[in-house]
Amino acid sequence: MLELDEVGLVHNHRRTDEVVALKDLSLTAPAGQFVTVIGSNGAGKSSLVRVVSGAARPTSGRVRLCGRDMTRLPDYRRAGLVARVFDDPRAGTAPELSVEDNMALAMSRGERRTLRFALSAKRRALMRERLAELGLGLEDRLPDRVGLLSAGQRQSLTMVMAGLTRPEVLLLDEHLAALDPGTAQRVLGLTAELVRGVGCTTLMITHNMDHALALGERLLVMSRGRVVADLDQRDKRAASVADLVELIAGAGDTVSDRILLREDTPIETTKGQQ
Amino acid sequence: MDRILLDALVTGLPMIPVFLGIYTVFRLREDFDLTVEGSFAAGGAVTTVTLIAGLHPALALVAGALAGGVCGVLTAGLHLWLRIPVLLAGLVMSIGLFSVTLHILGTPTRSLLAVPTVFTWFPATPGAGADLRMSIILAVFVTALVTAYAWFLRTEVGLALRATGVNALMARSQGVNDRAITVLSLFLANAMAGFGGGLIVQTQGYADVNMGIGTFVAGIGALLLGELLVRPGRSTVLRIVVCVAAGTLAYRLILVVALRAGLPAGDLRGVTALTLVVAVAAQRHLRDAVGALRARMTPDPKLEGSTR
Repeated sequence: MLELDEVGLVHNHRRTDEVVALKDLSLTAPAGQFVTVIGSNGAGKSSLVRVVSGAARPTSGRVRLCGRDMTRLPDYRRAGLVARVFDDPRAGTAPELSVEDNMALAMSRGERRTLRFALSAKRRALMRERLAELGLGLEDRLPDRVGLLSAGQRQSLTMVMAGLTRPEVLLLDEHLAALDPGTAQRVLGLTAELVRGVGCTTLMITHNMDHALALGERLLVMSRGRVVADLDQRDKRAASVADLVELIAGAGDTVSDRILLREDTPIETTKGQQ
Repeated sequence: MDRILLDALVTGLPMIPVFLGIYTVFRLREDFDLTVEGSFAAGGAVTTVTLIAGLHPALALVAGALAGGVCGVLTAGLHLWLRIPVLLAGLVMSIGLFSVTLHILGTPTRSLLAVPTVFTWFPATPGAGADLRMSIILAVFVTALVTAYAWFLRTEVGLALRATGVNALMARSQGVNDRAITVLSLFLANAMAGFGGGLIVQTQGYADVNMGIGTFVAGIGALLLGELLVRPGRSTVLRIVVCVAAGTLAYRLILVVALRAGLPAGDLRGVTALTLVVAVAAQRHLRDAVGALRARMTPDPKLEGSTR
């Protein structure tokens, strides 16, 4: 269970350029719940991810995971419990390391790293098995540099790496944002499968309202560092994209193009060229 | 010809650990650590005084390596606690270590001629046989150290070290404490520099307070040469080791040939600088040429990434 207790995050505290990223945010997500989070730019979605992952330490309030207070634990010490997939496909993997080295790094997550060999026949077998589930043929490319993979392949690999050690919380920070629509659709399907397989509490940040509505069992709308709407399974099913836009606009945020333009919106000019 | 090769081996082999340490920071961590100039001399000095004090020659090497490692930890401390870039912290350390080394030695140079070293274990034969014997003993020590290091790079901790240099954010999100890895990498790099310093003083039979000056640039030149010969990647540990060894020996070979050709010793620094320039130029232009040639022979778009 993930609990946020009146968490506040302020950048440049008590200076003229002070920015309030999170304002007394409280949130309780039971174990295994899949929560999607939407909001306009600057609503605090990424700050929420950073506070849970440990990349940012809250200015006030507490972060608890499975009843344990994690507020002051740095990100690398939470890594065993919290897995994270970044918005930038290049951020989640090391491009100059091979696929197997990247996966081996993820396999030691949450354990004390020892002087045992990072790669072993047993580990390689597990890697092949997991990669084969993707259906991208990556299981035959273990020694290849990750830098040679496409953005979609890299993001898929990051997702597999996130699920290698069973985390308590999975953080997906706009992880489809940099992918083309076709690839995004495939990685989205993979996301649903991964969350079902791992069964951990999941926070999926997205700017795509369709994705936010299609996946998960709870939807949070954020604005100016707070949760302005909390939709449960039933409300969520009844809601439409227009309802969500209204919720964001109602909270006083401008709704950006990025949210309104849907990924499947046909673009006339490119069609004309084809 | 034999003499040239043997000279290159005797002077080059002790530098392989030093340059492997420089590679660790320069390529795996993508940083510049000038501490090696100081830790190399400090390691040599500590080996010298412990040998004179009667310590076993192999243990004296360990003492020199530890002294070098401590220098690296101090640099890491300056970097992490005072938030100085590694480049600047290393520069400060290399300057300060000159005085420390002078204090350790007591005099600017100290002879080891009357003291047993690693080379006195085996009976000496005059002439070229002495150099051959020396290079075999050096090769045994260097191979042992380099093998241990390659083994380390392939462990879970070694993999974490290789990962933090490319993508620290990713490494942290996978549970790697990148601050601890910074300390570890600077410790290892400078411990190897200290070990190399200890080997050099035993090879040449004296320690000199100035022996570290120019080590860093020489190392970079040797590594660039090595990368021309072997193309190492972060996941190909064996290639990394081969690249450093080949580069070091090739670099020493160039210097020995220059000396044998009658160049005065004072010109060696110039040759070092020239080697570096040529290696950089070759990396820039030869690589493109080789890449273009490969692309022409195999018209496969996938290859574009590998030739960069």
